[in-house]
Amino acid sequence: MAPAYKLTYFDGRGVAEAARFLFKYGEVEFEDVRVKRDDWPQLKEKTPFGQLPVLEHNGKQIGQSISICRYLAKVVKLTGNDDWENLEIDATVDTINDLRQKISAAHWEQDAEKKKKLRETLLNETIPYYLQRLEAQAQKNKGYLVLGHLTWADMYFTSGGTGFDQFVGSNTFDKYPTLKALREKVEALPAIKKWMEARPKTEF
Amino acid sequence: MAPAYKLSYFNFRGLAETARFLLNYGGIEFEDVRVTQEEWPQLKEKMPFGTLPVLEHDGKQAGQSIAIARYLAKQVGLAGKDDWENLEIDAIVDTINDLRLKLLAIHFEKDEEKKKTLLETAAKETIPYYITRLETIVQQNNGHLALGRLTWADFYFTTVCGAFDFFFGGDCLANSPSLKSLVQKVNELPAIKKWIEIRPKTEF
Repeated sequence: MAPAYKLTYFDGRGVAEAARFLFKYGEVEFEDVRVKRDDWPQLKEKTPFGQLPVLEHNGKQIGQSISICRYLAKVVKLTGNDDWENLEIDATVDTINDLRQKISAAHWEQDAEKKKKLRETLLNETIPYYLQRLEAQAQKNKGYLVLGHLTWADMYFTSGGTGFDQFVGSNTFDKYPTLKALREKVEALPAIKKWMEARPKTEF
Repeated sequence: MAPAYKLSYFNFRGLAETARFLLNYGGIEFEDVRVTQEEWPQLKEKMPFGTLPVLEHDGKQAGQSIAIARYLAKQVGLAGKDDWENLEIDAIVDTINDLRLKLLAIHFEKDEEKKKTLLETAAKETIPYYITRLETIVQQNNGHLALGRLTWADFYFTTVCGAFDFFFGGDCLANSPSLKSLVQKVNELPAIKKWIEIRPKTEF
């Protein structure tokens, strides 16, 4: 019998990796579909808004990586106990995503001069601004990002780690020991460790 | 006794208006704080990540406009009935936000030549791409953006779509009768109509 869930994305970690982490953590079977660049133009028009990832379940298709994660987090029980707790998780995830988007903008900038400047600002100002505050937040939360225990915010944060290291260099987190320890803790969870070893090794 | 909620933002509708709509719709008293440009530098450091809006409740603070809206929607009965329904609402809201962010990026483009080209593409391709698909969704959803009924996605679209006109260079809903009708319906809900009459009149 086919898995209840199908997750379609490009062949990379990208913005789908957080969802894959959640599936693996919760031991929920899913079809991990990776679309080749050449096949994408044809598939694009079949997606809700011409983007990936798309989650399929019970014959329905839905896009938007973070919202997919929020749904999966409920399935695998990594959410808060009430609406305000879930707001706290959401706010932290959105904040990390704000940073991710800024990094992505620098990554995709074509003009070499502009890219250099964007990168400098990111490395010297933006990234420290966010990581200092996330570090302080984790210190107040027993080493987790929110609510003093493991939530999908920690999965979201950790799943982006490999890509983040590629952009800024892997010793960035030496300055943020609580965040570093959190990443290591999540990566050491048996299901996550196994997935990181087994997953396709991709450029992004 | 002070209201249970305090919402801080600049003196715009902007990213806080969905939250204001929801609070008014639910008849929830709130302190509608509008921070001036002079006050902002000092206040910025007190906000979790130096951004607005921020919602305060029970001595706690949370940022991120969409996360705040999702929380308030649950308080006022405009969320989904289960996790998948909430995913459907979330995905539409994120999609509308994607369009908003694309347009915002163009707005901040400093190269005048590049900006001109980007604006043309936005008006001719990007905005129509999204609006046509959203129009189809509303036609298939009983006049609403999700779940065939009023949800916070309808409020979100109503409060941000005015900005799309600016980039479109005209009424971006001119050929989208269902979306137009939806916006009108939302604006005519008694609590919303009253709010629109009394709210501060600001440029955006």
